Amino acid sequence: MEGVAMKLPSFKSLAPNAISIGHRSFSRVRRSSSLSVYSAAASSATISTDSESVSLGHRVRNDFRILHQEVNGSKLVYLDSAATSQKPAAVLDALQNYYEFYNSNVHRGIHYLSAKATDEFELARKKVARFINASDSREIVFTRNATEAINLVAYSWGLSNLKPGDEVILTVAEHHSCIVPWQIVSQKTGAVLKFVTLNEDEVPDIEKLREMISPKTKLVAVHHVSNVLASSLPIEEIVVWAHNVGAKVLVDACQSVPHMVVDVQKLNADFLVASSHKMCGPTGIGFLYGKSDLLHSMPPFLGGGEMISDVFLDHSTYAEPPSRFEAGTPAIGEAIALGAAVDYLSGIGMPKIHEYEVELGKYLYEKLSSLPDVRIYGPRPSESVHRGSLCSFNVEGLHPTDLATFLDQQHGVAIRSGHHCAQPLHRYLGVNASARASLYFYNTKEDVDSFIAALADTVSFFNSFK
Amino acid sequence: MAAAISSSCCASSLRLIPFKRTLFSSIHYPAKTLILRPLKPSEIPSFRRTIITFQKISTGIVPPPSASSSPSSSGDLQPIEELPPKLQEIVKLFQSVQEPKAKYEQLLFYGKNLKPLDSQFKTRENKVEGCVSQVWVRAFFDEQRNVVYEADSDSLLTKGLAALLVQGLSGRPVPEILRISPDFALLLGLQQSLTPSRSNGFLNMLKLMQKKALHLEVKGVEDSTSESSFVSTPEAKDEASVPEVDSESKPGLVEDLGTEKIDDTDSGSNGVALGSRGMRIRERLEEELNPVELEVEDVSYQHAGHAAVRGSAGDDGETHFNLRIVSDVFQGKSLVKRHRLIYDLLQEELKSGLHALSIVAKTPAEV
Repeated sequence: MEGVAMKLPSFKSLAPNAISIGHRSFSRVRRSSSLSVYSAAASSATISTDSESVSLGHRVRNDFRILHQEVNGSKLVYLDSAATSQKPAAVLDALQNYYEFYNSNVHRGIHYLSAKATDEFELARKKVARFINASDSREIVFTRNATEAINLVAYSWGLSNLKPGDEVILTVAEHHSCIVPWQIVSQKTGAVLKFVTLNEDEVPDIEKLREMISPKTKLVAVHHVSNVLASSLPIEEIVVWAHNVGAKVLVDACQSVPHMVVDVQKLNADFLVASSHKMCGPTGIGFLYGKSDLLHSMPPFLGGGEMISDVFLDHSTYAEPPSRFEAGTPAIGEAIALGAAVDYLSGIGMPKIHEYEVELGKYLYEKLSSLPDVRIYGPRPSESVHRGSLCSFNVEGLHPTDLATFLDQQHGVAIRSGHHCAQPLHRYLGVNASARASLYFYNTKEDVDSFIAALADTVSFFNSFK
Repeated sequence: MAAAISSSCCASSLRLIPFKRTLFSSIHYPAKTLILRPLKPSEIPSFRRTIITFQKISTGIVPPPSASSSPSSSGDLQPIEELPPKLQEIVKLFQSVQEPKAKYEQLLFYGKNLKPLDSQFKTRENKVEGCVSQVWVRAFFDEQRNVVYEADSDSLLTKGLAALLVQGLSGRPVPEILRISPDFALLLGLQQSLTPSRSNGFLNMLKLMQKKALHLEVKGVEDSTSESSFVSTPEAKDEASVPEVDSESKPGLVEDLGTEKIDDTDSGSNGVALGSRGMRIRERLEEELNPVELEVEDVSYQHAGHAAVRGSAGDDGETHFNLRIVSDVFQGKSLVKRHRLIYDLLQEELKSGLHALSIVAKTPAEV
């Protein structure tokens, strides 16, 4: 790989595409204060110690103003993206733009503003559809978040398809949003919930899952990437096994869609949910992907305007999907901003983001596990096992809340402590709570170094009181 | 130590504690029979009938207007002098330490010296709600009826906070504890050092400690209530604080008082004639409780509106009654046990449409 020296008189005057030279080249960029970031830059994203090549994290940093601040007297190091991600300026601009220039209710009006709002809203839907390779944008239902999307499936599909004795397969590692709705619906319908436990690698046991699938199974609802264990499940295989017995599959893709290429055609899942706020989009919007014929067979979830066709006093007829499941005025600006987030991510390229995160995640894991008394949950990274870029861990003899508080107060490092909405999993692992550091493509190697140093300091502080 | 507090302080301190007696949740009670709820100043006298005497003593300290209101009041904070002495010391100590890290060290130091809590006390009732980590608090009286606390936590920082409270509040009498406003947390200067969720845990810890102090006090009151009437009974065997005495052991006393003519009117005090259910209730209670006084008042008309009454009342529309019973049978029984006794006697009625009872159950000595 050749390094190509470029003379860059004024970085700003260059068109984005002019930077890319060859497929995988280093662009030696002079780090000046006027360095602005072009997200369309095609240079490779590596965490090289070569100070002259810029990693993806460094390149995008300026797009995220929120990261440039001090908390409690230290530079902010944000390692909680699995809880919610930060938003680039482009997304914020899109939201502001909507409200400032063309805010209007969608699908209802005839006037100019409402037509424009409708166009942008539906364009956002198309962007999301393309992002996950859905075959039609009508297979995308906008919801408030992934939790609502799962509830939609539970109440709409679940209540009308589950009978007493039917089985729904979950794992013990599911997020509460993929456990509680099924509990509620199974109570109402008499269906039975079955849980797949973990194997010795601390990953849901795929063999057990396979064995559990039987003609009684009607639904398999599992995560794609675990928000605690950082493990991923082989969705394609699971779908094959499930479809063999006539069962449907719902994939909770909240921790995968933001971080890697997710192709619903390849996965062939029946339902897939994700949240906007974990993928650089605003809160208040998420989506459900559902296969077209499936959505057409489902009764409404919420009733109101938009989802109807004709309304009489004693009955109403319903609209076609996706409108059937989008009652009331949607989060229009947020949907449009989600579309902008999709554009932003696509501009960098999901394969690139994924590659960067695999490396950075591995670096985090290695540094973390080199500290004494640290126990990281989930599988060890290897050639065949790619962990997500997060680590849930515990330090022997220390409560995660103490860790997180001290890290925040003394070092400005933001991690999460608690059960991460996965109480059954923590119970299974035999702990009350854990700490979790999660990365996103705007984090850098320096972030990880700062975290590790701060953690070491924290541990020694508390240990001095033992 | 005399329980001397100003009535307004008492009432408003009690307001801090949302205390619910969930045992009685299914039964309607008129306000006057319930001891445990926030007391309005005018109702303080009801406590005088029991052991505690509240005297208004002018201490020369005028409580600031917002002293006992919500912790988040931005007005004047409760003056430090009103806090228990040990707590004052602790507050001053933390105020003298400026650097956050040093405050943490101080907190952890407290936690380290906290006496561990036996695991049998790590129960649900002793757990502090709203804490990110697990915190348990236990309270009991010492010989001087001061409250002693024990606490524990799995998180070191929370343990420090708990230790701080235990040290500051232990060995103090109930009214003093109840008077503490959470404002002092601001005085500690820890508020900034602690995330909101942890601060809430701190507030909840204090609330639980105050609630437990109050509970101890009230339970002590109830026990001593039965004690005082118990004293007059010759057959009394043990001086235990909650004696379980049933009516059979004191036949003599019952006979002495039982011959008093019972006001045997057919109508309740409001003039509504008792229907068949009312009569049945009266008969049953007379039979089983040998009351000195017995009033059965049919107040079903007051509840005629609500849906539960319509159609479900066993055809006679007799669904709500006020009962006033004075009987020796109640001696040695706590309020709970007295009411339970009455419900047990009226099981048939309760099953067949009797909807609710308001009960005043006293021993002759309490009247």
